[in-house]
Amino acid sequence: MDRFDALIIGGGLLGCATAFHLASIGASVLLVEQGELNSGASGQNAGSLHFQMERRFLENGDALADQAAAIVALNRSAIEEWRTLEALLGCDLHVSMRGGLMVAETPEELLLLERKAALEARYGLDARIVDGAEARALCPSLSTTVIAASYLPEEGHADPRAVTPAFARAAAARGAILRPRTSLVGVEREAKGFTVELDSAEGREKIRAGSLLLAAGACTGNLAALVNVHLPVYPVALLMSATERTGREIAQLIQHVGHRLSMKRAHAGNILIGGGWPSRLASAAGGGFDLSRRATVIADSLVQNLRLAVRTVPLVRELNLIRSWTGVTAITADQLPLAGAVPQVPGLFVAAGGSAFTLGPTLARLLAGAMGGRPDDRLAFLSPARFNHLNSFMG
Amino acid sequence: MAECAPYDVLIVGGGPAGQAAALRLHGAGLKIGVVDEQPRPGGQILRQPPATFVAADWMEERSYRPLKRQLGRFEAAPDVEWLGGSSVLGIEPGSAPGVHGLTVATPEGATGIRTRRLLVATGCYDMPLPLAGWTLPGLFTTGGLQAFVKSQGFVPGQRIVLVGTHPLQLLVARQVLQAGGRVERVVFVQPRSALLRPFLRRAGGGLVGGNALLAAARAWRDLGAAGTKVAFGLKPVRVAGEQHVSGLVLARSDGTEEHLECDAVGLCFGFLPQSDLPRMAGLAMERQGRLRAFSARHDEWMESDVAGIFVAGETTGVAGADAACVKGALAGLGMLHSLGRISEPSARKEAAPLRRRLARLLAFADLLDRVADPSGCYPEVDDQTILCRCEDVTYGSVRAALGTCGSANAVKLLTRCGMGPCQGRNCEFSLLRLMHGPSRCEDAGFTVRFPVRPVPIGDLTG
Repeated sequence: MDRFDALIIGGGLLGCATAFHLASIGASVLLVEQGELNSGASGQNAGSLHFQMERRFLENGDALADQAAAIVALNRSAIEEWRTLEALLGCDLHVSMRGGLMVAETPEELLLLERKAALEARYGLDARIVDGAEARALCPSLSTTVIAASYLPEEGHADPRAVTPAFARAAAARGAILRPRTSLVGVEREAKGFTVELDSAEGREKIRAGSLLLAAGACTGNLAALVNVHLPVYPVALLMSATERTGREIAQLIQHVGHRLSMKRAHAGNILIGGGWPSRLASAAGGGFDLSRRATVIADSLVQNLRLAVRTVPLVRELNLIRSWTGVTAITADQLPLAGAVPQVPGLFVAAGGSAFTLGPTLARLLAGAMGGRPDDRLAFLSPARFNHLNSFMG
Repeated sequence: MAECAPYDVLIVGGGPAGQAAALRLHGAGLKIGVVDEQPRPGGQILRQPPATFVAADWMEERSYRPLKRQLGRFEAAPDVEWLGGSSVLGIEPGSAPGVHGLTVATPEGATGIRTRRLLVATGCYDMPLPLAGWTLPGLFTTGGLQAFVKSQGFVPGQRIVLVGTHPLQLLVARQVLQAGGRVERVVFVQPRSALLRPFLRRAGGGLVGGNALLAAARAWRDLGAAGTKVAFGLKPVRVAGEQHVSGLVLARSDGTEEHLECDAVGLCFGFLPQSDLPRMAGLAMERQGRLRAFSARHDEWMESDVAGIFVAGETTGVAGADAACVKGALAGLGMLHSLGRISEPSARKEAAPLRRRLARLLAFADLLDRVADPSGCYPEVDDQTILCRCEDVTYGSVRAALGTCGSANAVKLLTRCGMGPCQGRNCEFSLLRLMHGPSRCEDAGFTVRFPVRPVPIGDLTG
């Protein structure tokens, strides 16, 4: 039976990047992915590098906003991570860090920006609040309805189609084995690690692994059942749209503090529009969601999302919509990602729960350290231990 | 987006199948609408000139006469609402036996339409055939050439070469001649015997489809009289030209090459069902014919596996206009029955002769499919040749991606192949052929996304 230091479940950004970092420190790594590498949220998201607090953290009251603000410290690490990522991986990831503007159109939204800026300052992030004229000087395509924006020069975007494959290639070059179209079907816990059963077109196979990382996005919660623990990770289906390519310049990542909107002109010239509008997850016959079927576009979500885009950046109105797509990501019970060791099961680690494009490379680096025996304080607030109460009777 | 009262039946596609269905449904007091991208009905086979434009001797060929009669009846039907110049952008199936939703781009902007029964009869399109130089201006599919000729009497070239495996190119060549164009040559890739023998072998048995064969034979005779040579056994190698097509290079069976000078090339290697709307709606699909093309599965009443959504015509497998009419009539009957407007025994009685006729037409279609099968005739393509025209993705980059990608969607994500405005209509078939060989694979192809056709964002936001 083959034995690996680490088995990683999930061929998305977190899985592939963790495989890369573990292989780089000499660990033997097997990564399995039930579908294709990068076929989930890591490849389907719209590539925002957002280092300001996300507006979703501000939506649900002060207590959750205060708790979530801790993520700003991690965002600062992520800025450095993205600055050096192309050099690290030795390839073009279409990383563009030419600034981000989170816009406000009303006095109430401006107050929200100011509250957000105060929370961010607490963790050392200096987004500058600019007035409408200055915002339009930075991004002339912005609508005259914008009265203010918080501006962070390091924000931007990268190419989700390129990042995970680059990590996968680099991991393989350092000796990691990556097996797409292979599922995890069984886990037995042992004194030191796990014996797991894998299923692929070549049949079933058992291997042994010292540690096990679940990084399977929206499927993570279901996979946790194989080791008899609860991981409060919930699937969410989001909507994104692409316009035809355009020569019109939008240098920055544009977000809206009062509404669900993010836009950028991606490397190929298409304007990508999203911001967290829901799609409809497929439901399973016996109840629950069927994650094997694709989520469907909710027509009203699309129209609302596009209206906001037109209102914020009016030139979008004249462009053709060529594709709207859905992608399934995951959120946790308290909106913060889960990253770290699962206390009830020695050797089990998890990395899931959203924001994982912007934070993925950073989380993976810290997590690989933790799996290699060097836990990092910066991950402490994302530890699954905060949900220990769910696992009092599990394990 | 505005919404109007639900239709009883909405038909997508005003070609032979859609017309036949509408004609079977009309007069029953139903609210019927027919959506089509063209301003006037007819489909590709009877593509009409704009109403303000007179094309002399439009579609005079004898074999078109029954279709023209059907078109006349369709245009005269008072209770069939014509929604021309409109593209369906997406279908959202309702829960059975509920109301299905469509988003439609009309000349006045996008609108939502709801309907109790939906018929998708969106026809087929020319199989794109990548080869070196195929993105040069002057390179057409024969269907594209034909659309110019039929709708405008316009011939987009002075010296045209048609090349392919499908006998339809004989008819198109003659239409070009009749429109005043010059066809240098019609080239069949297969040897003469492979084209003729299967028809001759069957001719004794009173073959259905004889009209089509006679039309092809007449076209061949007329081409000969006009000095157009019909050649066999030559395989296209590359399209020559810098800024525009200047010639076509063909390979003889002994490996030597022949250079034909021309300023337009038409490719005719077969047809693919329009499958984007059925796939978007989640209908069960199957792979049909020797091209193994995606076509919508259906029951004996042409109803798909999603209750209330029917399919007919080439969308269900390319079989020609006559078969499309019969399938359309059956779908009309099926919808009438499912709406409770005709009893099952009556519907069955009426359907029986239609089904017998359809079986004979499908047998002929199968013969034609065999004769025109391009397997083994595909040009070799080097790594520099473009596979996806929208995003300029080469065969080389797709071949490199196949080292790690196990599905069309994975290739799309890694290479951008299929990510452009056509959503893969021009590259998916070639990609699947490259990935899995000419046949028999279970790859579901690209996920079809809203909108099926590009639409100005302002049309959706109002």
